[in-house]
Amino acid sequence: MEIITAYGTILMVLAIVFGLYMTWGVGANDLANAMGTSVGAGAVTVKQAIGIAIVFEFAGAVLAGGNVTNTIRKGIIDPTSIVDRPEILVYGMLAALLAAAVWLMIASAKGWPVSTTHSIVGALVGFAIVGIGPEAVNWGKIGKIIASWVVSPVIGGTISFLLVMSTRKLIFDTENPLKNAKRYAPFYIFMVGFIISLVTLFKGLKHLNIHLSGIQSFALATAIGILTALLGWSLIRKVAEDPDADREFHFASVEKVFTPMMLFTACSMAFAHGSNDVANGIGPLAAVVSIVSSGGEVMQKSQMPIWILVVGGAGIVTGLVTLGYRVMLTVGTKITELTPSRGFCAELAAASTVVLASRTGLPVSTTHILVGSVLGVGLARGIGALDLRVVMNIIISWVVTLPAGAVMAMAFFFFLKGIFG
Amino acid sequence: MAMKSTSPLAGLLRKSPFKPIQEHMRTVFSCVSLLMPLFEALSAKDGKMINQLAQQIDELETEADKQKSVFRLNMPKTLFMPVDRRDLLNLLRDQDALADDAEKISQILTSRDMTVPEAIKDLLGDLLQGTLEICSEAKLMIEELDELVQVGFGGREHDKVIEMIAGVRTSEHNLDQTLHKIKRALFTAEETLPPVSVMFWYQIIDLLGNMSNQAENMSDRLLLFLSK
Repeated sequence: MEIITAYGTILMVLAIVFGLYMTWGVGANDLANAMGTSVGAGAVTVKQAIGIAIVFEFAGAVLAGGNVTNTIRKGIIDPTSIVDRPEILVYGMLAALLAAAVWLMIASAKGWPVSTTHSIVGALVGFAIVGIGPEAVNWGKIGKIIASWVVSPVIGGTISFLLVMSTRKLIFDTENPLKNAKRYAPFYIFMVGFIISLVTLFKGLKHLNIHLSGIQSFALATAIGILTALLGWSLIRKVAEDPDADREFHFASVEKVFTPMMLFTACSMAFAHGSNDVANGIGPLAAVVSIVSSGGEVMQKSQMPIWILVVGGAGIVTGLVTLGYRVMLTVGTKITELTPSRGFCAELAAASTVVLASRTGLPVSTTHILVGSVLGVGLARGIGALDLRVVMNIIISWVVTLPAGAVMAMAFFFFLKGIFG
Repeated sequence: MAMKSTSPLAGLLRKSPFKPIQEHMRTVFSCVSLLMPLFEALSAKDGKMINQLAQQIDELETEADKQKSVFRLNMPKTLFMPVDRRDLLNLLRDQDALADDAEKISQILTSRDMTVPEAIKDLLGDLLQGTLEICSEAKLMIEELDELVQVGFGGREHDKVIEMIAGVRTSEHNLDQTLHKIKRALFTAEETLPPVSVMFWYQIIDLLGNMSNQAENMSDRLLLFLSK
């Protein structure tokens, strides 16, 4: 207890610095990956993408991010055995943050496709094993989280597969694809607004003291869907036939209808990312803040203060502005093979899956789900060539990231414990 | 700090193999198309023109070979494609064979001073015309590949390409009759012609026949794409 009182401020400052470092890394890499698709398709410029990211990351984190933050904050480690030594948990959370952030930097420098989520979960488990004891790890929850890492890309892939099939049936394989594209586009855009807001609203806003009944949620989601559809319709209305481009590739004009549609999936990707990945940075930060501010209370019943979200959002935006925009450009230029119609399906599928996972409090990887969704498009025979080596690399990165994060967290934990006593 | 793109997406999405296949076919077709003016120059006994055209054929054939090698180098076994990797590589080989045959023909015409025998003059024109038509049909078929990917090799686009394939088959069948006729005509005139020249004329006719067979093989490969 004395340690918390004596070093409370410095521990809090450290937590904020590490939290910013971590969220900066998330913004520099992770978010840029998620939004690069829309940039590549020419739906949004990098500047617009940054603007969208600022608004929708925050919205996602505030409206739908609470459950994942809680999982990271108190769902993985059971601190009952150290109630009289709260500083252990503080060191552990700091160590986990630092370990995950450093691992992320190393991986980024080497070009490995690691996930922020996997790093932080590995780090938390690593600390808990040495800092408290293996029994302090909520293994059941860990099992569920790991299962979700396998299941979520499969769900994303299934949804995108079905979406691609539906665009074929309704638009591409018809007498007049352009006419049908314009006819059905508002419906697809409606789905973006509707699905994302329904998943978010349905019994999901209790933390903001907003209580909506099932029907109210449904009605509000429908209204939001219609609003996005109207907005989308005003954008695609002007798309005209381009006979020159069509001669080269018969579906060129149709694809032009899908380009502005990717503006909406860019928003939904940023929202989904905010709802899931911001938690990786601010979950441990929130844990430290609540212990320190309560003077050593580890059970953390308190609500998370809103300024922590602001710190997380600020870190992500800084990461995006300093380095992320370049990643976004690189990703954008490299994935031109994903035409707007396929990109739309993949992003909608990924965003829906991520938001759904966020609602159930499962920390998943946005990027890996997006990879799963793109594979879904490939399974529908819709992409020229996918290099499956990437899938192998992702699996290797899982196997390496968990122990790497864990071992680094252990080292940092003992280091911090040595400094503060 | 140097940050490489860790995006699995950038690594996942490889360049479509269908675009290079189409580009290769365009080169091959430009090469094959030169056979017509080449034989016109032969009839006109314009040696300078023959050499010039043969030179162009040679250059285009080299270009096609280059495209073929680049394509093969970019086809690791880990690729997941809407069509079988082996079928795609075989299709490329068939396309390339067209340019090879055109080059062989032009080489015969430059290494020997050949004269078109009166007896086969008209039929040779027909045979050339027919061969080029089949090659052109095959090229049109290849041009549909990116549209096929867009619709997942099904639906209307599928039916359209099936029709094109049937078209190539019919043309090849019709051309077989021309081939038979020209060989018959050459045989009847054999006695009156220099024997070595006759030998080379048989070779030229066989090479042209081979080209239409290759075009038909291409349509068979495409059928495999559609039936997967």
